[in-house]
Amino acid sequence: MAAWDLSVSVEELGSEAPPLKVSVTSDLHIGGVILKVVEKSQIKRDWSDHALWWEQKQQWLLKPSWTLDKCGIHADARLCLTPQHKPLRLLMPNAISVRLRVCFSSPVFRTVMGICKLLNIRHPEELSLLWPVEGKKKKKDKDVEAEVYDITCSPLPSSTILKLANGMPAFYAESPETEAVYKMLAVSQPAPAPETIAKMYRTTNVMEKAQINSRWLDSSRSLLQQGVKENDKLQLRFKYYSFHDVTPQTDVVRLTQLYEQARWAILLEEIECTEEEMMVFAALQYHIGKVSLTEQFVASSPAMDDLDSALQCLEVKMEGESSADDMLETMTAPELHDYLKIFRPKRLTLKGYKQYWFTFKDTTISYYKSKEESCKEPIQQMNLKGCEVAPDVSVAGQKFCIRLLIPGAEGMNEVYLRCEHEQQYSRWMAACRLASKGKTLADSSFSSEVQSIQSFLAMQKTTPSNNTAQTDESINTHSLVSPRYQKKYKPKQLTVRILEAYQNVAQISLTDAIQKFLQIWQALPDFGLAYIVVRFKGCRKDEVLGIANNRLIRIDLSVGDVVKTWRYNTMRQWNVNWDIKQVAIEFDGNVNIAFSCVTADCKIVHEYIGGYIFMSTRGREQSDTLNEELFHKLTGGHEAL
Amino acid sequence: MDDIDAMFSDMLQEMDLLTQSLGEEAESAPLPKPASIPAPQEMNFSIGFTDLNASLHEMEDNDLDALMADLVADISATEEKFATDRDTSKGSAPFAPIPIQPQSNFGLPASTDTSKPATSSNSIAAPPPLPASKPSKEEQEEQIKADKIKLALEKLKEAKVKKLVVKVEIMDGSSKTLMVDERQTVREVMDNLFEKTHCDCNVDWCVCETNPDLQTERGFEDHENLVEPLSTWTRDTENKVVFLEKKDKYEVFRNPQLFYLWKKDKKSQMDMKEKDKEQLLEENFCGASIIVPDLEAILYMKEDGKKSWKQRYFLLRASGLYYSPKGKTKASRDLVCLVQFDNVNVYYCKEYRNKYKAPTDHCFILKHPQIQKESQYIKYLCCDDEVTMTLWVTGIRIAKYGKQLYENYKAAVRKAAGTATWANRTIQASSSASTPSPTPKAKAANGHAPQLPKDTKGPGNQTSFPPPPPSMETLPPPPPDPMLPPPPPDPMLPPPPPAPPASTAKVNKFPPPPRFPQSSFPPPPMDDLPPPPPPPEEAELPPDFLPPPPPSFAPYGGDSLPPPPPDPITSLPPPPPGPQNFASAGGAPPPPPPPPPPPAPAPAAHPSGSVRKMPPAPPKRTTPQQTAPPGGELMSELMTAMLKKRSQQ
Repeated sequence: MAAWDLSVSVEELGSEAPPLKVSVTSDLHIGGVILKVVEKSQIKRDWSDHALWWEQKQQWLLKPSWTLDKCGIHADARLCLTPQHKPLRLLMPNAISVRLRVCFSSPVFRTVMGICKLLNIRHPEELSLLWPVEGKKKKKDKDVEAEVYDITCSPLPSSTILKLANGMPAFYAESPETEAVYKMLAVSQPAPAPETIAKMYRTTNVMEKAQINSRWLDSSRSLLQQGVKENDKLQLRFKYYSFHDVTPQTDVVRLTQLYEQARWAILLEEIECTEEEMMVFAALQYHIGKVSLTEQFVASSPAMDDLDSALQCLEVKMEGESSADDMLETMTAPELHDYLKIFRPKRLTLKGYKQYWFTFKDTTISYYKSKEESCKEPIQQMNLKGCEVAPDVSVAGQKFCIRLLIPGAEGMNEVYLRCEHEQQYSRWMAACRLASKGKTLADSSFSSEVQSIQSFLAMQKTTPSNNTAQTDESINTHSLVSPRYQKKYKPKQLTVRILEAYQNVAQISLTDAIQKFLQIWQALPDFGLAYIVVRFKGCRKDEVLGIANNRLIRIDLSVGDVVKTWRYNTMRQWNVNWDIKQVAIEFDGNVNIAFSCVTADCKIVHEYIGGYIFMSTRGREQSDTLNEELFHKLTGGHEAL
Repeated sequence: MDDIDAMFSDMLQEMDLLTQSLGEEAESAPLPKPASIPAPQEMNFSIGFTDLNASLHEMEDNDLDALMADLVADISATEEKFATDRDTSKGSAPFAPIPIQPQSNFGLPASTDTSKPATSSNSIAAPPPLPASKPSKEEQEEQIKADKIKLALEKLKEAKVKKLVVKVEIMDGSSKTLMVDERQTVREVMDNLFEKTHCDCNVDWCVCETNPDLQTERGFEDHENLVEPLSTWTRDTENKVVFLEKKDKYEVFRNPQLFYLWKKDKKSQMDMKEKDKEQLLEENFCGASIIVPDLEAILYMKEDGKKSWKQRYFLLRASGLYYSPKGKTKASRDLVCLVQFDNVNVYYCKEYRNKYKAPTDHCFILKHPQIQKESQYIKYLCCDDEVTMTLWVTGIRIAKYGKQLYENYKAAVRKAAGTATWANRTIQASSSASTPSPTPKAKAANGHAPQLPKDTKGPGNQTSFPPPPPSMETLPPPPPDPMLPPPPPDPMLPPPPPAPPASTAKVNKFPPPPRFPQSSFPPPPMDDLPPPPPPPEEAELPPDFLPPPPPSFAPYGGDSLPPPPPDPITSLPPPPPGPQNFASAGGAPPPPPPPPPPPAPAPAAHPSGSVRKMPPAPPKRTTPQQTAPPGGELMSELMTAMLKKRSQQ
């Protein structure tokens, strides 16, 4: 049995202080060492979170009952007594930074579970940590350090975290500051200034996108083992694009962060979409931004939900039992009438706009020569059901036109209606939109439709000073689209395009809008693909492997085309040869592929595939207990065995 | 002229009221008068309406007289109490025009009749509370009054519901005619058709719309409403509704790999395991968002207004159909959107090689459903082969309808699986079994209606139609005695006319149901039918013809038989004597006091009604007949009729 002096540095004594020397024997267990060190340090404090870190071997000594012998520690070992939980700056998907204490000693998978517990995000297995991009820092803007929201006061994730009735973890309620942090997490952020978007790092091709995936941390090792230091900056992101059991009531933060991640992916063109899709995304962003300002934060409470639904029930009931008077009321539809100008480009006349007396009833517009003649046969009637409605508006030019494409047996008839002023326009426009959906003026959404049109018009009125983020009414439409479209269109042109898309979403609630955004995002063809540059066995050039939640794809770099698709359900097994860094996969029907990874460690590829397989094992039974062991089995590689 | 205008518009309003109040009138009528009288009166009303619909031109002077008399009488009677109601009816456009029908193409009075029966059965339903409770009279009365007001309003609403008579061609060359209510989905219509045609109810059955002008064909999706697309057909349309099996309707759910893994070789597609198919469906249809098959191919597109077809590289995305313009990559940002699917439907095309010089005959178009003729707003596309075409059309349907398509399929599978048991049940349960439907009332109405029209219309059936006794033809419907009009025609405040009499009156007219050949119809009704001996003329009718009671009911009766008609009664709380369920309802009510109205007028009017309907030759096309055409027409029709009459005088 050997006896020697073990040198242990204690972080609490300061980095300058010489390491303490404690005399130990080889059969002393780790717990004993810690005890001796603590005694010698003569510091009185709670040491429960501390553990020994073996610097040379880059490993934690977390088993107090193991002897030094068993751990393989000899006289040359330099140990360090350090807290397991340390503060870390986390860059959230919504681009704000949160400072919180995370576990540096457990595998990253467990660490992320802890983080998600503090942040109130369910299904932490879908998220992971990665190193942020080392942006090409231009000197002038290097100090614009974003504000960091501090919640290091929170209890350790290992303790039980109480939740308030609205689902918010209790500790956030302790001070107004922390409550504000929770709000940052749970409510989507206002649209960023266009410059911010333009300035951010963007990937321009598959190769660059593949680089992103080299930055993921290893889930089976601890932060400290991977060189993460106290107060370092890491990104928290949804990694596996397989979102299990999303329920808006309990997933406020999760849904918001997911939306933010999706939004930034769109704005930064991490995922490509068409112009039409971009406009829908922009309209939804605008809508979400607007509604979040008013609808804030109430969505989370289940109790409130109950109340809401109860109220709704009551409403429905009352509607059902409405008196005869009410029924009469609803059956006498309101009307609009006014002098408007009409123009039909189809007839090749140069007359332009002509004024008539218009009435709008049910879903039909009729016009007469004058108000006095409105009791006679109208000159024409146009039923707007199923028609297309588009704005043709310029606030500056005081031009308020409604473009209608009215379907008829022979084709579409193009008609322009010109209104005198904004109020008139918003009423007629709202009526046209409702009518195109087959709703009448009596529909309850009429007034809100009018309002949303007016508020959108306001966007055109305010000259967007470039740096303003979204406030109540004004917004720069450039904040809603990727730089490509910022360059392509002027804000006013964009307003028109976005308005077109907006009319389909203007009436939906915040949660629905977020979910719709996510749905469209998930329906994009390239959704959920993680790219890795690989070299297939026997090939001489690099190719790209795309990993999705149900398949692997092989992309030819020169053409950019998908050459081959393999689905997981035909996969027999996959193996990693850690020595030559090669992944080999066998599929049904004797299909074997093997490749080495160029841009990322093969552990990352291995983890991706195993991770997706793990995600697919999650049942519908909604058990919130996470099968950590299985995850490590599937993703751990040789270290797990 | 203005005077006449004013007069007519007044009358129009009154007619609306009449439509609603008809039911009550029927009830109330019998009370004050001898049994024989109510019947003719009721008939007159219905004749007035039906014939108006069918063709005012064909109206005899007498008819016109009767109509006018009715109107005048009722105006006075109803005026006071209807102030509010009238406003409503004025306001509600669809209601007013009901009786007006573009006379030319329709053999039948569609909407009025149906809505009328529906209403009448409703109204019948209402009275029950009367006899049931007697406690505190005043309260009771108030309650009843309130109920009636509500009922009247509901009827108003009901009357607004648009109904079409649709002739559906079946592949064996025959056809079925049915009444379709605007709230009915294609699924419900198909359920009706299944019952009528006794075919196996497999999931491939499909109601299709064909357009000979454009040479297109489109299968309606199960969740769509049938009336809406049909009402966009033009009046002179040659379009048809066809009922047939289409294998590609739900192929994507049986073999999702053909669409989602279309790039794979044929062999591995065929070898697909069921488990893997399920997984494919799960992935693509059960996730947070629907995944559209990632189709991309070179297709031919007909340039706007040009005759040439150009090749373009097309891609299908959830957000629309895109192509990559010349010289551009197929990266998303460069794609040009040809069309988004919100406002268009996709149609298969036939023989476009001839029609438009297309490269192949495998073409499909995208157009707004209302467009019926060649137009620059139609997008014409052509594929190399049929498989590709099916792939794209199905892909577009998935993009357009999303999850709904899968729901439809699952419902269709359930239906197909449950067919056997269902059939049994229906046979046993007969008419009292109501088809599950969200709109029972409407269905009921329509359930009945179809048959008769078919009989009348179908050329083949015509022979079986009993030649109306000549005497009847000459016999003008007895002009309704102006004095007679039921006291308060007011639907809102109907005097408490005992419901039974009304029902009996109807029953009387009713031909005994047993005559129906339809197997599904339960024989029992015969026994249950306590009602008075069939009116004289009935004997003359061939067994399979069900003489409709009053013309208005006619359309009903016929139809109700074949399928276990969702009868209105089931949906109605009290057992009002629905026209069709003679068996249960007809028999149930207290013994019909008034003996059958044998007097000459009654029988005469009776057949005359049906006869009248026949003349408008069955339009060959299956045109869904628009029930509520613009009001102007009625006016002019009435006017011409009036003028004609006057000139004759």
